[in-house]
Amino acid sequence: MFSGSQLDATAAFSGGGFMTTESTQINDSSSLPARSRETQGLVPVTVKQISEASQSGDEKSNFIINGVDVTNVTLVGMVFEKVDRNTDVSFVLDDGTGRIKSRRWVNEPFDTKEMEQIRDGMYVRVNGHLKSFQGVKQVVAFSIRPVMSFDEISFHFIDCIHNHLHAKAKVEGVTPAHPPSINSSQVSNGTQAPSSNPLYAQYSMDGLKDCDKLVLDYLNQHSDMSDDRGIHVNELARELKLPLEKIMLALKALGDDGLVYSTIDDNHYKQA
Amino acid sequence: MDTSNPSAFVNAELLPNFIGKKVRAVVQVHQSDGGVAIGKSTDGSQLTVKGLPQVPAMNYIEVIGIAESNQLINAEIWTDFGNTFDTDSYNKLCQLANGEFRSLFL
Repeated sequence: MFSGSQLDATAAFSGGGFMTTESTQINDSSSLPARSRETQGLVPVTVKQISEASQSGDEKSNFIINGVDVTNVTLVGMVFEKVDRNTDVSFVLDDGTGRIKSRRWVNEPFDTKEMEQIRDGMYVRVNGHLKSFQGVKQVVAFSIRPVMSFDEISFHFIDCIHNHLHAKAKVEGVTPAHPPSINSSQVSNGTQAPSSNPLYAQYSMDGLKDCDKLVLDYLNQHSDMSDDRGIHVNELARELKLPLEKIMLALKALGDDGLVYSTIDDNHYKQA
Repeated sequence: MDTSNPSAFVNAELLPNFIGKKVRAVVQVHQSDGGVAIGKSTDGSQLTVKGLPQVPAMNYIEVIGIAESNQLINAEIWTDFGNTFDTDSYNKLCQLANGEFRSLFL
């Protein structure tokens, strides 16, 4: 999934010439919005949200939550009615907003081991695939882990709210201001704004300074002490909806100020 | 799928809105004698919980049960959250889950 954009990154680094970076920009602008719509990653949801999710087509099609396609979800709740079978473990997950059937296939010894420690009444984090089977929605879980710190419960539901707001802003808040902001950004920055990426246009209105701050904020929020590698430039570009070239400029400026540093290679950065 | 019997996140302030209904609250237990426990809600008021076994004093306990009165919950399920818990975040969540973002929860 990264291969294409990693190629772009190397091109941007080795070339440095105007032609090369421009082509990178075009590639990015055309592929970014499509990609962000296709792969949502693991979406934090409540059972209530799943119960209201609609399907765009038949049973095989994706679910739509908050107006966005959702395939994989993460939930936190209590396990009830756990039943062990030879090939799978089924249970009901109650997160306080509702109950949903869940199933975990047990193929490997690892799966069996993970499921052995799960008991009725236990708080767990479930990551899984949202599916409809004979008209009933269920979660086919690929990971079920006991909640160790109960702050994770508060966190999960706040995460659901955050994701809801994020999706809402994406679905509603971009179209009307689109054409004028593109123009203004082109004038003020003198750079070519990728027109198919409306969020970029919003962010770029105040020029590079804003972009620096976004990059710094993102690195700050996603810094993990246990992970020495830091954040890949492609992740920054993807998550901040900015062209790679902008990210690289921002990182260079921030690096010159001693606020960020590159880690394992020139594509990974951490906040200083 | 069953969303007919949710349990609302509540603090002491929100509890009166759910008399006779299922709620969930986190209480820091000050006193428990196996049966009735008295503790502090996440918004700092006193709550009484029926149906709790003896639990370590000062621990944070999540109770899920029926709201019987403005200060009383009859616990059906309880979970010991231990002696450290971020009550401020939980309290904020109670407010959000009953306010602006109610549609995600109830």
